[in-house]
Amino acid sequence: MLETINLSKSFKGKKVVQDVNLYLNNGESVGLLGPNGAGKSTTISMISTLIKPTSGEIKLNGVNTIDKPGEIRRISGVVPQELALYQELSAYENLKFFGAIYKMKGKELEKGIQQALEFVGLEARQKDLVKTYSGGMKRRLNIAAALLHKPKILILDEPTVGIDPQSRNHILETVRMLNQKDGTTILYTSHYMEEVEQLCDRLYIMDHGKIIAAGTKAELLSILSTEDTIKVELNKMDETFVEYVKTIEGVRKVEASHSQMKIIATKGSNLISKLVHLAEKHHIQLINFHTETPSLEDVFLHLTGSKLRN
Amino acid sequence: MNSVLWVQFCKDKRNPLVILLFIAGSILATFLFAGGVYSPTTVAIFSEEENASEIETKWESLLNVDDSIQFEIVEPEEARTNVKDGNIDVAVMLMETDYRLVVTSELPSVSYVQQHVEKVFQREAQISAIVETQGEEDVRSEIENYLADAPFQLETQGTGSEQVPKYNLSTQLLFAFTFLISMFILGLKVNNVTNDKVSGIWDRMILSPMTKTNMYCGYVLDSFLITLFQIVVVLLMFKYVMNYEVGDNLWLVIMIAAFFTFSMISVAMLITGFIRTPEQFYAIYPSVIPLIPLISGAYMMPGTITNPILLFIADLFPMAHAMEAIMSVIFYNAGLQDVMMSLLFMLLIGVVAMGIGINLIERRSK
Ligand SMILES: Nc1ncnc2c1ncn2[C@@H]1O[C@H](COP(=O)(O)OP(=O)(O)O)[C@@H](O)[C@H]1O
Ligand SMILES: [Mg+2]
Repeated sequence: MLETINLSKSFKGKKVVQDVNLYLNNGESVGLLGPNGAGKSTTISMISTLIKPTSGEIKLNGVNTIDKPGEIRRISGVVPQELALYQELSAYENLKFFGAIYKMKGKELEKGIQQALEFVGLEARQKDLVKTYSGGMKRRLNIAAALLHKPKILILDEPTVGIDPQSRNHILETVRMLNQKDGTTILYTSHYMEEVEQLCDRLYIMDHGKIIAAGTKAELLSILSTEDTIKVELNKMDETFVEYVKTIEGVRKVEASHSQMKIIATKGSNLISKLVHLAEKHHIQLINFHTETPSLEDVFLHLTGSKLRN
Repeated sequence: MNSVLWVQFCKDKRNPLVILLFIAGSILATFLFAGGVYSPTTVAIFSEEENASEIETKWESLLNVDDSIQFEIVEPEEARTNVKDGNIDVAVMLMETDYRLVVTSELPSVSYVQQHVEKVFQREAQISAIVETQGEEDVRSEIENYLADAPFQLETQGTGSEQVPKYNLSTQLLFAFTFLISMFILGLKVNNVTNDKVSGIWDRMILSPMTKTNMYCGYVLDSFLITLFQIVVVLLMFKYVMNYEVGDNLWLVIMIAAFFTFSMISVAMLITGFIRTPEQFYAIYPSVIPLIPLISGAYMMPGTITNPILLFIADLFPMAHAMEAIMSVIFYNAGLQDVMMSLLFMLLIGVVAMGIGINLIERRSK
């Protein structure tokens, strides 16, 4: 339905998005995962036609959206990362405006507003000024504003940043409903692994402007099928010890903090006995250790060598 | 466009205090600074000659020829103290065939009174001279009748005719302050473009079927209506409630104000094109705006500023043209034809500034 081909964007010579290829099938729920500054918002802005790519193409059902933005604008709704709302107006007035700019009026507009409010659970507070809302309620209204014209594709840019877990679940549930009941195609960006894991059929992992991995959750986890993740708790942390651990045969990555170490190593490399041996030599006690099943977080660590959230 | 207008009005409805405070502010400023020099409606006259009361009554009836100024006989002491204390700008001390003005400073209202008094005294001197050579008192009434229905009705403007330009600084200040405040209001309104850009609401509009032209028109029209509303309210207030001289041709004055408003909105748009955040606008705009009436000479008698560079800079802003047009309408009964040049200038500034401004704003968002 929608695809990008070698999509790239530079700001003043700095490459922010590089050769991004992604696609969305009708009715799918797709996640775009990456740390802050990865280029997610820039990618989304290009897809929604707000900014022009430096190079590359975006096609909606085979038609280039850069030359003909009309159709993608008509069928898509965008939930921006920032709260694009009039704080000094009520939720109702905000939605009335955002509906009116889509040429909705009269009964149709009224019905649309009430449906959108109901969907995000704000009917009861619709006459209240947005500035009196909690962070979560504002986020929900921000979503409702993108739903008024009943988009076939909903693009959400980090819709849950900075809100309480309850509001967050509410929003995730809303998006799931849109996808599963209404068949809305979803493109969901986030830097929260759990959200994307829960919500999306497929996901893209983005870092430094590039897509570094893509696929279903199972496909991505299989990247790590040849690896073990071991968490070790020590009585003290020692830099030289960490350096020695890195030299153990089969160890791919080591991450150390306080008294904890996370080690990714090739499966069956007999790591544990070597580790115990090394610790003894350095007079370090191993308090606790266990092998973890890999998570998408580990996939990210594996691919980039850094943590997703920092 | 309608939706933009509606939503901006909604915001103002929620928070009408800002606009109302601005309107009150311009009325108050005019009062504070222009109230003192408002053209005197009554002028004290007195005489200290031996036959004082005779002289006073004679000139009183001669001076009170029309109702532009009311001359009133007062005690000499009272008149002098009032002038000295600044309660009144001017008093007239009468003699048999001459007069002296009692003033403390050269206020604009003084010359206005002087013109009137001088005219009356000169005419009286001429009549007396004729009466003296003829030796008959009848000649006086003959001359008076003749003058009342003279074969040459003097219609030109200048000293000695009824069409003397009735310039007064307080009317000018009224417009200077009203326009100053209106520039602030329209700036505040135009800044909504930047506000909505920063909040992301602008992007929502871009993605909607609304056209760019409609978006810009919405913001411009909103600024225009609110600003013109402020100007008209203030003018009506001063014309009908406080009886200020704002001319008989109110429609033409409002039309000039409308051109000014549009033109200045464009200048504000131009400034918007150079900035990124609403805060930057708040930092730049209020420091530029108060300079415009200053260099446009709006606070001073016309012709005070002679520096060609300043005059040139002033001409780049709509205010100088608006003030010139309005003053000529009010004081010299200029018509639409006469102010056409000023209107065209403002339109030109408006179109050019708007064009460059919107271009810059669009380039910013790439
Ligand atoms: N308009 C812009 N001008 C210059 N740099 C920008 C602009 N927008 C984004 N960037 C830069 O591009 C990078 C990616 O930003 P963004 O797409 O917002 O990342 P994300 O949404 O993944 O956090 C960042 O380093 C950011 O500073
Ligand atoms: Mg972002």
